[in-house]
Amino acid sequence: MMYRAKRRSIVRLWVACWLLFAQAVSAEENLCVLVLYSNHRLLPANLEFEAGLRETLAKSTELNAEFLDYPRFDSESYLDAMTAFLHEKYALRPPSVLVVGGKGALEFVLRHRDELFPRVPVIHGAVPQSFLQSRPPLPADVVGVPIKFDFPGTIELALRWHPRARRLLVVTGVSAQDRAWEAELRSDVSRFQDRVTTEFLAGLPTDALLQRLRALGGDTVVFTPGYFEDGVGHLFSPREAVGLMAAAAAAPVYGPFDTFIGTGIVGGSMPNFAAMGRQVGHLVNDWLAGGAPAAQRLPEIAPTAVNLDWRQIQRWDIDPSAIPDDAIVRFKPPTLLEQYATETGVAIVVFLVQAGLIAGLLFERRRRRRMELAVHQQRCELAHASRLAVAGELTGAIAHEINQPLGAILSNADAADLLLASGADRRDELRAILADIRQDDLRASEVIRRLRALLAKQPVDWHPFDLNEAIRELEPVLRAEARRRRVALDLRLTATAPLLLGDRIQIQQVLINLALNAMDAANGLPEARRAVAVSVEHDADRLILVVRDRGPGIAPEHLPQLFDSFFSTKSQGMGLGLSITRTLVEAHGGRVWAESGSGMGAVFRVEWPAADGAGTPEPV
Amino acid sequence: MTTPSPLIHVVDDDESLRTALLRLLDAAGFNARGYASVGDFLLQAPPDGPGCVLLDVRMPGPSGLDLQAALRRQSNALPVVFLTGYADVAASVQAMKAGAVDFLTKPVEREALFDALQRALARDAAQRMARAQAEQLRAAFATLTPREQAVFDRVVAGQLNKQIADALGIAERTVKMQRAQMMTKLGVSSVAELGRLAERLQYLPD
Repeated sequence: MMYRAKRRSIVRLWVACWLLFAQAVSAEENLCVLVLYSNHRLLPANLEFEAGLRETLAKSTELNAEFLDYPRFDSESYLDAMTAFLHEKYALRPPSVLVVGGKGALEFVLRHRDELFPRVPVIHGAVPQSFLQSRPPLPADVVGVPIKFDFPGTIELALRWHPRARRLLVVTGVSAQDRAWEAELRSDVSRFQDRVTTEFLAGLPTDALLQRLRALGGDTVVFTPGYFEDGVGHLFSPREAVGLMAAAAAAPVYGPFDTFIGTGIVGGSMPNFAAMGRQVGHLVNDWLAGGAPAAQRLPEIAPTAVNLDWRQIQRWDIDPSAIPDDAIVRFKPPTLLEQYATETGVAIVVFLVQAGLIAGLLFERRRRRRMELAVHQQRCELAHASRLAVAGELTGAIAHEINQPLGAILSNADAADLLLASGADRRDELRAILADIRQDDLRASEVIRRLRALLAKQPVDWHPFDLNEAIRELEPVLRAEARRRRVALDLRLTATAPLLLGDRIQIQQVLINLALNAMDAANGLPEARRAVAVSVEHDADRLILVVRDRGPGIAPEHLPQLFDSFFSTKSQGMGLGLSITRTLVEAHGGRVWAESGSGMGAVFRVEWPAADGAGTPEPV
Repeated sequence: MTTPSPLIHVVDDDESLRTALLRLLDAAGFNARGYASVGDFLLQAPPDGPGCVLLDVRMPGPSGLDLQAALRRQSNALPVVFLTGYADVAASVQAMKAGAVDFLTKPVEREALFDALQRALARDAAQRMARAQAEQLRAAFATLTPREQAVFDRVVAGQLNKQIADALGIAERTVKMQRAQMMTKLGVSSVAELGRLAERLQYLPD
């Protein structure tokens, strides 16, 4: 013992010298801060406190931590050994400031300060205000932020959030600290007597306790500071104990420590250990910068705030409007924007750009559709105009076709009139006349019907039709026109019905254009060469219409422009017929081309895919 | 007269119309006959009889205008009335210039048709009469002796009997006698009449 004391005094002397020296060079050397915690290193309150502290201290400040591991280890010999251990351990790196966390650590330091680090200033945190008030004032170089566990505030909160609760269940343990909390609580609950009945479950074995909690009814709220030791001597951290309770309880559980948040308790009015750590950190900084902090900078008490677990708020269906605005809400799922601000921003930008792009494309598509429609409309107009022009050219043939039956009808009627006037009984002849009149009338109306189909402005009618049939319908008009122009017309259709998908009228117009073109070519030629041949050929998957004349043919230099608009070799041609022809043919997925040998006449070939074959074209 | 009644030749390729026209003409008391084409008409029509042709313009093969041209080359040309389904200006002008009686369009009013046909028949009758008279005249002229024909030429040319006698180397009295015989044969009584006759002879078709 002598030896030890002697040695200690030598060390102390050495340390003092070193400290003098160290203070002189403190600007260059790392400052050392030692934190001594009452409890063990994994207690969440300790971790949060240290995080707050570390955050506040300068990066260069060396921070060491020691743990007394109360209340598991608290024998006198252990504390003596601990004192010696700390003394030895930090002999060469003595702390500039000693921080103590919790009441136990403060008591320990006050008792062993001389053997540990004499004259090293002490800053305390997480020491209950009640403890400080119950003992003589601390030395001047021992300052800190007292803590007040707000048991009544938390109970008040629980009762406010559960207005229908009729019973308050308070759970405590059997360790010294647990007993102290129990005593404090017994005095606190008296103020709620007129609102709820209070029951204490103090020092139950954990199993029995959880059993009880599971059986709770809806009119109960549970308050507990947790416990370090249960009725059968099992040790816990208060957080572990609360976690078990909250998991089992069929009623909402409240607790006064913010480290409980996340274990399943609803919340409470709590000191904030991280904030406390920061406050202590500021005090340490002040001290390191130049001595004891001024009294006015000493916080009277560590801040408390309503902490809550958002999941529990929802689980217990607590009215959100009862939550104070400054409450610290935990476990509320962050909104996408909060959680991934950058990503969300990028996503929004990408989305907007994409939306813009899509809108642009849609707009473009609409514009194109509109234009396609307009083109289609124009083509219809053009086709119609060209049909009217063709009609003009065919007027002679048409008039002939109609006047022929009309002439017969009139003459027959006149004949009948004369026969009746003559008074002779020629009933048979009159009957024959009437039959002929009827037939000629039908003939005339058939011509008109066909012409109307050909000339009327009507929507495109897209369906499969027989090409032979379409040509046969045109035959009378074409023949009449050929006769008028003194051209021999030869029509050769196929034996089987060639089906073509498209608009019959438009295809008929193709034939009219090509046939009139061929008849034009016969103009001024000798009788033998005034001939036009129209033929249909039916391939496996193609329909071919051939229109052949025996005119002068097409000059090779004209072949490439033949189907261009406004190209014409005729003195009175508009140059639209073949251009329209090509447009109509291509609208039906076909193609048209011309061949010509010198002096052998011209051949126009049109080729379409057959409707029963593959690759049927779409209407345009 | 004992001449056969005039026949109307209807040439139209449209059977229905042809039938109707024939019925109408028949009912109206005309003699009519139908032909489906120009060729049919040329093969089947009686070579020389009074009448006229009711002709369509456009037909397969030779057209109505072709037939009109062919008829004109014959001495006994039948008058032509055209009846067309579509009266284009070019065809109608050509037809009228070539001497068509009328150019009608279908459907045709019966009065217009009958009127045109009457005029055609009247023209045919007149032509026939003129042709008959000319024939008569030519026959009479053929009975003159060469000397009488020579006297005729000189009288028509306006020479006096004395001039004619000098030119032919015969006596003036002989000229007088031959001139009287010539005028008797030709059935004229004055020099003025003889002049008109000479004019007609000169312009008669051969």
